[in-house]
Amino acid sequence: MADKVPNVCLNLSNRPENVLVVRQALTGLAENQGLDPIETNDMNTAVTEASNNVVQHAYEGDEGPLEVELYTEDAAVMVVVRDHGVGIRPHAEDTEDGHAGIGLPVIHALTQSVEFRNLRSGGTEVRMQFAAANADALEPPTDGGMEVIAGAEAGSDGASTVEMTLAPTIVAQAVLPRVLSALAARAHFSTDRISDIQLVADTVVANAGDSISGTHLGVSVNLAPRDLELLIGPLRTGSASRLIESAVDGAGRVIERLADDHRVSTSDSSETLALRLVDRS
Amino acid sequence: MPSMANAPASTHPAPAGVEDLRELFVRWQTHGDAAARETLLTRFMPLARSLARRYGRSSEPFEDLLQVASLGLLKALDRYDADRGHPFPSFAVPTILGEMRRYFRDSGWAVHVPRGAQERALKVRDAQERLANERGRAPSVNQLAEYLEFDTEDVIDALQAIQAYETLSLDAPRPGADGDVVAYGDSVGKDDDRYELVELDATVTAVLGHIPPRERLILRMRFVDDLTQTEIAERVGISQMQVSRLLRRSLDQLRTLTHAS
Repeated sequence: MADKVPNVCLNLSNRPENVLVVRQALTGLAENQGLDPIETNDMNTAVTEASNNVVQHAYEGDEGPLEVELYTEDAAVMVVVRDHGVGIRPHAEDTEDGHAGIGLPVIHALTQSVEFRNLRSGGTEVRMQFAAANADALEPPTDGGMEVIAGAEAGSDGASTVEMTLAPTIVAQAVLPRVLSALAARAHFSTDRISDIQLVADTVVANAGDSISGTHLGVSVNLAPRDLELLIGPLRTGSASRLIESAVDGAGRVIERLADDHRVSTSDSSETLALRLVDRS
Repeated sequence: MPSMANAPASTHPAPAGVEDLRELFVRWQTHGDAAARETLLTRFMPLARSLARRYGRSSEPFEDLLQVASLGLLKALDRYDADRGHPFPSFAVPTILGEMRRYFRDSGWAVHVPRGAQERALKVRDAQERLANERGRAPSVNQLAEYLEFDTEDVIDALQAIQAYETLSLDAPRPGADGDVVAYGDSVGKDDDRYELVELDATVTAVLGHIPPRERLILRMRFVDDLTQTEIAERVGISQMQVSRLLRRSLDQLRTLTHAS
């Protein structure tokens, strides 16, 4: 298990609104894996409890990271929810009070197995395994590493940044449009522009196989009201401009057409494509 | 089904210590003391209510699910063994969740939930249209959620779900609109000669020829003429969400065809 690579990795802050991002990623994966509505509901409910625990308790009122990893397995889905704060306190829930602290019993009841690990660096990992009859292990390619490009740039509010890595492509296909829709909805985008963002997400995913450097599609999102910046990478040298120029008969260059701005930044061995989408309606 | 589901959530009996609770369980389980059971029920009703809310997010009429959760709570009150030393909630939670799960399975929720999602998607589609007409711009998700009294999440799910509903009546013409492509081409031609060119365009490539004329027209409106999806929806006489769906589908098909050729 230790060296398994996640299909979806989300680096978020422990803001309450990010629980919806986690749920959308899960729902996308559940659809992709053909989970039935009850399995999906079980998984969403338990993962929501674990995430809410990080939101409410892990940092004692401060802000800190909420990390979520999703793994597909044969007939199961594994979800890891991690914080770097005080972590979950399994015994704090042992109260006779009927309406306080039922998160842990809920997680226990809805998972096939669950493990709580204290991290040496501080914080806790909740590793939840869910039975999912139709699920198949979708191994990300093993060559190359999984890099996450830094989302927040100097001066931007780190807390409104979401970072994710996705693999393989069919997982990205199911998860990226959903997660970006949820973020665009939070940034008050209109339904018109949310749909445009889905089209951009589809285009990025469709070209990911030819453009990513490493194994995972990395996307960081910086959010401001009606303004969304996507940082896509690391990409192989030369492929950022190919992605922008990728054209479809009848529509032309989809990304160039739908994004308000695009920029390629180059490092030693890779590129990052920055796309900005604004809602001016 | 007992009526305690309607007990007010704010009823907080005097806090009972562990010993008091044990006493109440003995009175109910050993002596059949209904008053003790009622006290326990009132005390733990918030637990059932909380679980119904967490597990049944926007799936069922909440009151129905609360009745099921209450039934689970009653079972837990009967079966709980205080001598084992586990606090009651950690025993009751799986019992109550199990009851709700069984209810979902038996009532065909697993089959019907997609229909519930479809109905929500259609409501979102219609509200999108109404609000866009009223306000002259496409609404945000929050505005739709507020208008429909849905969770934001339900609206986001609907925006996504609409992509999957091939068989729904989404392709049906909107009331008062003419959904027929040929007739649409005629009517548009009178207002704006540009769109007639779509069908006459000699540059329709072999790949593009594989998708229906209406989808080619919508692609052109979005990507060449730079109309918003709401503007396209008005002109073609379909909903914006359908424009969204057709754009996603045709781009996907065109990409696949291009790869294949």
